[in-house]
Amino acid sequence: MSKIEKALKKAGDERGNLQVVPAAAAGGRTAPWTALVGQQIQVPETISRMAENERKLLSAAELWERGVIHPQHTEEPAVQVFRELRTKIIQQSQEQNAVILVAAVSEGNGGSFIARNLAAAFAFDSAKTALLVDCNLRNPSVHELLSDAMLPGLADYFENPEMDVSKIIHPVGIARFRAIATGGLREIPAEYFVSVKMRRLMDSLRERYRERFIILDGPPMSDIADARILSELSDYVLVVARHGRTTNAQIESGLNAISSRKLLGIVFNDEPRVPWIR
Amino acid sequence: MQMYPEQIAKALINESFHSRRLVVAMFVIVNVVMLTAGLLWPKSYMGSTSIIVDEKSIMEPLMKGAAVATETADRNRNVREVILGRRIMGQVLERAGWLADHPAALEQEALIEHIKARTTITPVGRDVVKIEYRDSDEGRTLFVTKTFADLFIQEMIAQKESEARSAFDFIDKQAQEYQQKLAAAEEEIRQLRSSNLDARPGSEIEINARLIALNTRIENTTTELREAEMKRASLERQVNGEAEVTVLATREGQFRARIADLQAKLDTLRLSFHDTHPDVVQLKNQIQDLMAEASAQRERREKARPSQRSGPDETLVNNPVYQQLRRELSQSQLTIDALKARIAEAKRLLQEELNRGKGLLHSGDARLVELTRDHQINREIYQDLLYRRERARVSVSMGSDRQGSAFKVLEPARSRPSPNAPRFWQFVLGGVMLGVFVPFGLLFARLRFDPHVRLANAISERHKVPVAAIVPHLWSPGELTGLRRELAILASVVAVTLTLSATLSVVRLLGVL
Repeated sequence: MSKIEKALKKAGDERGNLQVVPAAAAGGRTAPWTALVGQQIQVPETISRMAENERKLLSAAELWERGVIHPQHTEEPAVQVFRELRTKIIQQSQEQNAVILVAAVSEGNGGSFIARNLAAAFAFDSAKTALLVDCNLRNPSVHELLSDAMLPGLADYFENPEMDVSKIIHPVGIARFRAIATGGLREIPAEYFVSVKMRRLMDSLRERYRERFIILDGPPMSDIADARILSELSDYVLVVARHGRTTNAQIESGLNAISSRKLLGIVFNDEPRVPWIR
Repeated sequence: MQMYPEQIAKALINESFHSRRLVVAMFVIVNVVMLTAGLLWPKSYMGSTSIIVDEKSIMEPLMKGAAVATETADRNRNVREVILGRRIMGQVLERAGWLADHPAALEQEALIEHIKARTTITPVGRDVVKIEYRDSDEGRTLFVTKTFADLFIQEMIAQKESEARSAFDFIDKQAQEYQQKLAAAEEEIRQLRSSNLDARPGSEIEINARLIALNTRIENTTTELREAEMKRASLERQVNGEAEVTVLATREGQFRARIADLQAKLDTLRLSFHDTHPDVVQLKNQIQDLMAEASAQRERREKARPSQRSGPDETLVNNPVYQQLRRELSQSQLTIDALKARIAEAKRLLQEELNRGKGLLHSGDARLVELTRDHQINREIYQDLLYRRERARVSVSMGSDRQGSAFKVLEPARSRPSPNAPRFWQFVLGGVMLGVFVPFGLLFARLRFDPHVRLANAISERHKVPVAAIVPHLWSPGELTGLRRELAILASVVAVTLTLSATLSVVRLLGVL
């Protein structure tokens, strides 16, 4: 790695991973990456504004430690997979932003992991932003990404009619990645999802930034009611099944809960892999 | 679900890595189980011995030519019957110490069945039978194998002996029967002969011979007679031609002849010599002497003549040739008479013989011939039987002395580790291989039959829903560190297991365990 590259990398780490695209590191196989570089020229106004109130960005190693992908992990097959998934969704939505529900078939299938990393993959693209909304009321996890778990979230928003949406959107230390947690560790009644306020929230989130993709970290589909309501609110649904954890019967019932029109497909999570072997 | 081999292989590798602890645990368990099994597996020894078996029935050579022996039963089956028979088995049980704690009859039966199952009897070549016996105790293996061979040979010799004895008894009985038959036949012949004196075996032949002899004699005599008659005829002719008397020459005549002779000689001498020559003188003297002699002779005759008028003429004598012929003639006549008498006698005898032959045909000659023939055959068989009986007697004594026995131990009993019993190294190797294959097999089975989804393409196939992404496990740095440690531990566990197997194998090979 040349000195210039080192300097670039350092700058990238400090300012977010925006420009850190060393051609050598990216290699020839990261075509979307080069496309991403091209898009950098047309950075929308909102994104540059977003970059201003970005908190200190987490390093690639720190993200990896938290189970979040980073464009620098070129060796990691998962990075490529999420990138392809993102591209697939963008193609499906015809470059329009969309609300994507990521729901696991059952508890422990890694729905939150997929949602988080899919959001991160959207955020790779300097022309796109990602917003991860924690809708898994029983087992919330998005707050782990925040600097303070007690920051206001969905619960605060529903309980406080005066509250502005911007108050609950928090940076997570990843460029162009924002998150809405459940808000503390309080219990949120599922009825909130069917409320007009929830629908309005979704619309405002979608409308506010055109380049923003909203990923809902949904509850397991065993919770049929919640999953169905959230699928109503979203444009696309990704069903997460985990290797060795999910039965075909569970998948079957999960698929029955959602409209097949919105279903993008099943994400098969945690396929065993021997590290060091590609 | 259709899967390609490389898919299966990849899935298996991923699955085994995913369940690495389980795989290693199973590897260890399988190895430990196999090692334990190998250590506890009862040792197996194989005892073997070969016996030469010449099981030709003793009756066969003994009765060869005289009777046809029945086919002997299948030899190997026979040997097997004898060895695994109740008698030998009972003795083996007793000698090998199985009966020490007095098992019940049912248990004994089970023991015998057990021993039978571990005993194999295989024919090697034509006359050799191999007995093999497997057991967990080396000493007992050898002992039982040896006992099998010993008892078998003992049994077979005893059998042979009794066989020889029964053969002897049989032949003896037969000989006696024939002896009786022979005696009866002889008696009958004797009776027949006494009732008919001429009835002798071959009397007809004898008569024929005599007839021929008589005929020959008649012919010869006839020839002789003819010769004699011819001789007589010839003699008669000669006698007729010969004079009965012949004239005898006088002494005086002789002197005169002599004188004449000398006179001639004197004349010849006178031609050459004078009258005074001694020879001439001598001749003259001789002539004078002779003349004197002749005159003296004449005078003596003259004087004697008147007295001898009645007597035969001195000069007339019988002819000797005539005499001789006459004598021969009479001799010839005698011969002819004798020959005629002889011919008549021979003819009489001939007639007599013919009469006798005729009479013989009418008497029991046919019966006699039959009897004689039977007798002759019986006698031949009887003699043959006597010969065989003596041979059988020798066989019996040979059997009792165990001489020339056809049962011998060719290869003495020896025991060695059973070639078919699993070896310890096989357990070790099997453990290692099973330790690999069993987990993989189970993983494969889990892959196929687990209700939990383990293959992404199974989902799309089953639910007709596209698989949007297959997300491989994301290894965090912390996880990777833990994984390295874990893999090191697992590798050392496998290494320890393999070392244990190898060590035990070596120890076992050295015979310590």
